[in-house]
Amino acid sequence: MRFFELLWFSAYAELKAESARSYLGFLWWLLEPAMFMAVFYFAFGLLMGIRDPNYIPFLLIGLTLWQWFKSCISHGGHAIWLNIPMMRQVRLPVLLFPLTAVVSDTLKFVFIFVVLLLILWAMGYGPSRAYLALPLVLLALLLLASAGALVSAAIVPFVPDLRFVIENALMAMMFVSGVVFSLEALPETYRAWISLNPMVGILESARDILMRGQWPNWWLLAKSCIGSILALAIAMLLIHRLAPRYPKLAV
Amino acid sequence: MSSSILHLENVGVAYQGVRRVGTRGFWALEDVSLDLHEGETLGVIGRNGAGKSTLLRVIAGILQPDRGRVSLKRPLRIQMLALGLGFVPHLTGRDNAILSGMLLGLRRREIEARLSAIRDYSELGDFFEQPLNTYSSGMVMRLGFSVAMQSQPDVLLIDEVLGVGDAEFLKKSENDLRLRMRSGMTCVLVSHQDSLIAELSHRAVWIEHGRLVLQDSVDKALAAYHAA
Repeated sequence: MRFFELLWFSAYAELKAESARSYLGFLWWLLEPAMFMAVFYFAFGLLMGIRDPNYIPFLLIGLTLWQWFKSCISHGGHAIWLNIPMMRQVRLPVLLFPLTAVVSDTLKFVFIFVVLLLILWAMGYGPSRAYLALPLVLLALLLLASAGALVSAAIVPFVPDLRFVIENALMAMMFVSGVVFSLEALPETYRAWISLNPMVGILESARDILMRGQWPNWWLLAKSCIGSILALAIAMLLIHRLAPRYPKLAV
Repeated sequence: MSSSILHLENVGVAYQGVRRVGTRGFWALEDVSLDLHEGETLGVIGRNGAGKSTLLRVIAGILQPDRGRVSLKRPLRIQMLALGLGFVPHLTGRDNAILSGMLLGLRRREIEARLSAIRDYSELGDFFEQPLNTYSSGMVMRLGFSVAMQSQPDVLLIDEVLGVGDAEFLKKSENDLRLRMRSGMTCVLVSHQDSLIAELSHRAVWIEHGRLVLQDSVDKALAAYHAA
């Protein structure tokens, strides 16, 4: 109980401090992803000339969910490492730090997701009964993002050099997750491997629900959920094992 | 003085030092055995780098010993006096007080109930509602001390800092801490000031190069330390 209270307040404090650091404050939570999406639309929609009218919602959904996932990992990945000085002063559960990053990024995501829904509705992709499955899809993604954040947070203090690798690994993962272009065009040999990536099923399910108004492929979604839960369990175990070693590391 | 509530037996702690492939750990604490008694103030003396701060962190349970063991007679809340823990420059004094208090182990409603006391004690006035980055460094320390004093652990560990701020606040904060130590709180005090150790401690330990040299009365420990 105390842990969740602290987690919630830390996330609130982080968001409040972040919005106090710039002139436009929390408007950046919307402006930044909007700019990011505009760049992708410019590159893939205009320059590469993808004419499919479904491409814009496809891209918006992919990028919105991806940015949430990515920010949890790159932000959460630093969390333990940055807080080692505090861990030397007081006993705190190590999970607090990466989870604070995940919670604050998730709160930001909620804003952005609402805007995404408004845009989709304005474009004619209205709500449907399939929206009932949406919480499950988002939960699967939250678990996967938490797992990623915890694993990178657990390892970065030992090998800070990994920070440079993680960013690029995430970029690589983006391209094999079907964020900016559909994976259906890929040759069969790659697709078997790519379907092991839980992100693929999550994005596909989200698009089924939001664009096509149909229930997700339950088998695909179940695989993603199981993959996410497994990843999270491994991550928690890893952090639990490594926790006593962090205060002894050179910062 | 009553019975021992915490016992360290041949405790050693190694830090993982510089990041180079193949480097080994650095033993900040090699071999320390000592007892802490209920209600006493134990002074810790020794030169820079002797391992005093590491010793406090072991007692606080922040560092687990790499060898030897720590045993407690009963569950204890042991804490270092941590000033300005988790302070964020862009948040107001109020938010920082809540955050810091919660990091120190208080529930949110507990710390919120004490906010007006913190505000008064820190003498911040209207600045309490202003962001921390508008404070002078003395004001930050005053707030940090006021919050830290809200946490009342079973064993308080003090690393050098007894009071903070300008002359007046320094006196007030030092006096309040002294009062606590005299009123039966168990305490471990690290200091380079002989006068403080002599005034406040019931016993003293001398640590050198990560090893315990002496555990004795304050007078004897200080005399031996200066004779060395």
